[in-house]
Amino acid sequence: MAYFSPTSILTDAQKVPCTFELAVPHLKPLNSGSSIDQGTKLDLPLWMGEMLALDTHTDPLATMEMPTALGQRVMNALRADAKSVDLRAQAQWFYGLGERMLFLFEDDEMVDVLTNTFKKRAHEIADKAQNTRGVQQGGDSNDFVMGLDETERLLFRSSHESTQAVKKWFETSSRA
Amino acid sequence: MALPLAPGLTPSEVAFLCEMELVTVIPRQRLPSLELLAGPTARVEPPFPTPLPLWFALLLKRQRRANISPPPWLSVESLTAILDFETDDRTAGVFTPASPLPTSTTEPYMDRDPYLDSKSLESSPPFIIDSSTARAPGDALPYHWLELSHLLLTHAADDFVDADTVRRLVRDLREVRMSKLRKGFGVLDAGAGVKMNGVGAMEIAEVRGFVGGVVDGLRKLNKSREESRRERELEERESGMGRGGYPDDDDDDMQL
Repeated sequence: MAYFSPTSILTDAQKVPCTFELAVPHLKPLNSGSSIDQGTKLDLPLWMGEMLALDTHTDPLATMEMPTALGQRVMNALRADAKSVDLRAQAQWFYGLGERMLFLFEDDEMVDVLTNTFKKRAHEIADKAQNTRGVQQGGDSNDFVMGLDETERLLFRSSHESTQAVKKWFETSSRA
Repeated sequence: MALPLAPGLTPSEVAFLCEMELVTVIPRQRLPSLELLAGPTARVEPPFPTPLPLWFALLLKRQRRANISPPPWLSVESLTAILDFETDDRTAGVFTPASPLPTSTTEPYMDRDPYLDSKSLESSPPFIIDSSTARAPGDALPYHWLELSHLLLTHAADDFVDADTVRRLVRDLREVRMSKLRKGFGVLDAGAGVKMNGVGAMEIAEVRGFVGGVVDGLRKLNKSREESRRERELEERESGMGRGGYPDDDDDDMQL
């Protein structure tokens, strides 16, 4: 994780459900002013959740749970058909979130599901990036491209841009 | 920190490098040897074909001072044969093999440092001297085949016997190979290598962003598994062989 990378900063800012184990009166602002007691559930940013849940010096203040974006329902949908799931609706940086959560909860099955999803969708992205006409006209491929998470968008863009750059070179060099 | 440019070469950089390739020129005027940064060019004497860098050859061609004789692999017969090879079902998984490397000139230098001896260097694709001159092999595509054939077909079309057929064959070849590359994306994996022997420079420039992105994404997803595997191995090593003095190779910052 790079300190200056907007990608990792934005990944870190995604919300994760946390349950407090202790009453913490001084963290009231987190719960928009109401008190935090034992068992209060809050959606906290990933970086804060990690800080509260992984404190090794004392007993952890809170426990983290798997966010719904990576829950069983989404995993089943991805297993059934990776290409039809709107990943962007689950989380903006879906794979980044997955990577961080897998670091905390080791889950071999989820690694497999996410890897397969990424591979299948990458293939589709390569095809879509090659021919963007369907995307611009709002064809049926539009749904897929709108449902890409940010990592996939970057992939789409770099793939599209390199194709365009090569095309542009062929055009300019034939003119001169 | 983010660099403004993506890693790898842009198409114009690839084309720039391609212009250093030697092509065979049939001169119409004499021209003395020129002292260039890359070394002196060959002396040009009218009836004799001479190898010159592509950029220089194109300049002379534009000034009508020379004709370029296209390399043997850019003939209709060779391109048809290569296209047959590419479209054959039996060779669906591989690309046309690149021209064979020149036989190694390495000899055991006992008394000298082999790194400092120019004779001990082995040339590999971008640096093979005769890959596009008239002496090039006719059955293999060189590293810069796509850019070179495009430049020659655009600027020296009248030097070809049948430029239109050659142009069509080159375009077919490009499409066939591109779809092959695309099929090859299926085997990309976190730790897997992709064999892309015989892929040209421009083709690499076209797919680099995508392939790099996919491998990097897969690597990130597999990081946790990778780390637990590494820890397990370390434990096994320590319990099995006592204290193993292996350096911890941390390649997390590696970029494609």
